[in-house]
Amino acid sequence: MRRVFNLKYISIVILLSFLSCEDVVNVDVPNESPKLVVDASINWEKGTVGNEQTIKLTLSTSYFTLQNNVPAIGASVQIVNLNDNTSTNFVDNNDGRYTTNSFVPVLNTEYRLDITYNGEQYSAVETFKSVVPINDITQTTDGGFDDELTEISIFFNDPILEENYYLVKFQLTTDVLPTFFTIKDEFSNGNEMTVFFEKDDEDDELDALNVGDEVDIELIGISKQYYNYMSLLLDQADSQGPFSSTPAPVNGNCINLSNSSNTPYGYFRLTEVDKTSYTVQ
Amino acid sequence: MRVFAQEKHTISGVLKDENTGETLLGATVFIEGTTIGTVTNQYGFYSLTVEAGKRNIVFSYVGYAPVVKEADVQANIIMNLNLLESSDALEEVVIKAENKERLNIKSAQMSSTNLKAKTIKKIPVVLGEVDVLKSIQLLPGVTNGGEGTAGFNVRGGASDQNLVLLDEAIIYNSSHLFGFFSVFNNDVIKDVTLYKGGIPAQYGGRVSSVLDVRQKDGNQKEFHVNGGIGAISSRLLAEGPIKKDKGAFLAAGRASYGHLFLNFSEEQKGNIAYFYDVSLKAGYSLGEKDKVYLSGYLGQDIFEFENAFNNTYGNTSFNVRWNHVFSSKLFSNLSLIYSKYDYNLGLEFIKLDWKSDIKNYNIKYDLKHYLSNKITLDYGISGIYYNFNPGEVLPSSPESSINNRKLQNKHALESGVYVAMNHKITPKLTAKYGFRYSYFMRLGEDKVGVYENNQPVTYNEELKIYESATNTSVTTFGKNEEVKNYGNFEPRLALSYQLSDKSSVKASYNRMAQYLHLISNTTSVTPLDVWAPSGKYIKPQLADQFALGYFKNIKNNAYSFSAEVYHKGIKNRLDYIDGSDLIAQDFIETQLLNGKMRSYGLELQLQKNKGKLTGWIAYTLSKSEQRTQGGTIGGLGINNGDWYNTSFDRPHDVSVTGSYKLNEKWQFGANVIYQTGRPVTYPNGQYQYQGLSVASYDERNANRLPAYHRLDISATLTPRKNKNRKWKSEWVFGVYNLYNRKNAASISFRQDENTGFNEAIRTSIFGIVPAITYNFEF
Repeated sequence: MRRVFNLKYISIVILLSFLSCEDVVNVDVPNESPKLVVDASINWEKGTVGNEQTIKLTLSTSYFTLQNNVPAIGASVQIVNLNDNTSTNFVDNNDGRYTTNSFVPVLNTEYRLDITYNGEQYSAVETFKSVVPINDITQTTDGGFDDELTEISIFFNDPILEENYYLVKFQLTTDVLPTFFTIKDEFSNGNEMTVFFEKDDEDDELDALNVGDEVDIELIGISKQYYNYMSLLLDQADSQGPFSSTPAPVNGNCINLSNSSNTPYGYFRLTEVDKTSYTVQ
Repeated sequence: MRVFAQEKHTISGVLKDENTGETLLGATVFIEGTTIGTVTNQYGFYSLTVEAGKRNIVFSYVGYAPVVKEADVQANIIMNLNLLESSDALEEVVIKAENKERLNIKSAQMSSTNLKAKTIKKIPVVLGEVDVLKSIQLLPGVTNGGEGTAGFNVRGGASDQNLVLLDEAIIYNSSHLFGFFSVFNNDVIKDVTLYKGGIPAQYGGRVSSVLDVRQKDGNQKEFHVNGGIGAISSRLLAEGPIKKDKGAFLAAGRASYGHLFLNFSEEQKGNIAYFYDVSLKAGYSLGEKDKVYLSGYLGQDIFEFENAFNNTYGNTSFNVRWNHVFSSKLFSNLSLIYSKYDYNLGLEFIKLDWKSDIKNYNIKYDLKHYLSNKITLDYGISGIYYNFNPGEVLPSSPESSINNRKLQNKHALESGVYVAMNHKITPKLTAKYGFRYSYFMRLGEDKVGVYENNQPVTYNEELKIYESATNTSVTTFGKNEEVKNYGNFEPRLALSYQLSDKSSVKASYNRMAQYLHLISNTTSVTPLDVWAPSGKYIKPQLADQFALGYFKNIKNNAYSFSAEVYHKGIKNRLDYIDGSDLIAQDFIETQLLNGKMRSYGLELQLQKNKGKLTGWIAYTLSKSEQRTQGGTIGGLGINNGDWYNTSFDRPHDVSVTGSYKLNEKWQFGANVIYQTGRPVTYPNGQYQYQGLSVASYDERNANRLPAYHRLDISATLTPRKNKNRKWKSEWVFGVYNLYNRKNAASISFRQDENTGFNEAIRTSIFGIVPAITYNFEF
């Protein structure tokens, strides 16, 4: 699985895969105390009103635990539109999900997220980013990394007048994990851009895309800061060979107003999304 | 009065090998019954001044029969001499007869090791290829990141801090195939010297070490061919006289077979990975006083991956050198050198081509002045003009969505002047003192970013992250217009005090300036990393190193022992903001922070020089750390501004290498290597975000990989029938990593794709690797 679109990283992973072998080992790792995790992704799907939104709050755990999804319950959560100072409250579902059906999305507008949890106040500010639609989806075998495996590609037109950043998500409906790509238009500003998804797990040929597989696809317009955040996060999540960069704390845009050393994980993003799905033929 | 004022005369000349005409470097010349002695320089030249009268002059060199010449010195004499390579049986006698080891005790130079091609040949190595870089890693104070990493680390320094010279040309990448082979073909190598400290003033430009590799000049007497056929690679060398005793040429090539190398695994049939290199050399004497050399090198690595990806990279160098002897006391060498490192990358799956290179043109003039038997003066000048092409992005086909883009080329001139005095102050005290003054100019054409508060990186107080600033404007410089300059005074000092004729103590100090930086935020250096020159925002690295050592020869030089301690501090070491984007970056300063490094350690080496069993045991105890504080930018810095382990910190490093000659037919070799695991950063927790389990990290490089260790063995079979025939051959059998230890190149953390649970994955490169090579010579 390759979640990251990084020229150097891809090259080196390929080079290294020539010669290396991998096995699962037991390792003792350090363990820090739990911190709040903010998964506040306000997605406005094209063609919808965007009023229904969910924010997930969880707590971090030790690295190898199997109980890795610990909900943070009892928080108060609201989002404020900084343009007109209207606010939307989110209701605690007591399972880590905080929901609303009265959110009003406005593109290119600044919003603030306010959370109070365990007596500490958290806050984040972000701008609502728009996205261009997906023009086309194609299915081929001769592209991609492997000439024999099926890949699907999406196409979209990058606007020429601005710097654009994208997050692309592919997920097989039967898969546990999504595949993300972060993309910027630095090398291809104003062009038709393409991203391909090819499952080429070396351990299991059957794991490739097969006829009948359904793939959920999301093209998400994101801010530069979120691009940096997500790139670093994905890079660290999946690329620690000898040629990866040294892992470091990944700080999102949420800050702890009460206790600055207890920085939360996660990010507050507001993004327009073009969502579709494709069935492999 | 006249009785005491005896006249003095100078004996000078060049020492060569009787059979091949190769000049002998570092051979000893001394006057019997006196303490007057010297060693030949890098072109085999020596000069000695003695009082008039009858003198016995002794010439000797390791592995050669010594020669004693009687001369009635009544005027300056030129004495060119050939020494005969002795059979091994004679070798012991030779070492006893000569004074070389004792001279090493005397010489002020410390922290350096000289290896002859012959010594390197005895050390077993991976894949059956004799290898310089693998050999120097067995020395105390020298390590590398393990299998699959290019370069080497000296005394806790980074691999871009080594000055690697091949016949004086700068080599930017010293490895083939990610460190499995070095770029040096051992057949062509005559002599290798590694300076870890007390670096002589003639060298500059890198802060940690100098690896000075000299190629053979070619056989001046007869035409010869030798080669080797191995399981992984083969090589061939031809050499012979251009005109007997006047000039010679040498041409050699090496290549690995790409497909074989990868057929370890069935899946990789469509992939190609191989390298080749070619070395050329020619030398010609223009009379007694002048000699001209031409030398060239070309090496390439080629990778292809299922038509989706291809990558080539390599070094090219060419140089012309002219030795001129002005007088019996003044030797000079003028060098004109061109060298280049380039890499090309084709990513067919995104239809992108990438090209980048660094070129330099170097002119050097070095003089050696034998003022008296007590004082030798080295002085010279050099100028290096650099042209950096940091990268060009091209669409690889018309339907590619990639736009053509060329990064700004960068230009610089690095010049240096040096003077060094080698001074025998008393019979027991020798000093080498001098300085180098280096001056670096960044030249146009260039576009330099202008930033608010002059800060290309800013600190986001709220989110506690370092961010790239966007330039407010760009200053344009015309062709050859000066952009920025730096000058550095680099004092060098070395002292040796002889405690007895068997032991000495030495001390040294050197300051080094480095104006080029390898931009790499990965734990291991890769061939894709880009070199960047110092400039408005990137300051030159400055190192101060102190070293102290004790040296002793034991049992008539059968054993030698050395102990050294050192401390090295380096300013202006670049560090990288988290998430730095170093690819295709016109304004690289927006990704960088300025930090420092320090390393210190103890190195012990016990060497056995004589007998059937030779080799050494080396132990190094050391620490290598770096620190990057926020400073005027704000914030605490990287890793909260605390010192942290560099990724090449190896506190314990043990190397044992031995070679045992059973009889004329069989010779055996073995290496044992143990190193503390490389520092790494392990996660201190996980959290759920966007359907992924994300690892959280805190303190940098605070954990370690498991210890690295392995055992290699080799056996060389020389058939007895070799003796009296022209065709000589040998078989070399080797096993790398005999007990098949899976040394971790890395341990990575990820989510299992099927279960979603986290797991730790060990990546190891080589298990046990057998190799066989057939070498021949005629």
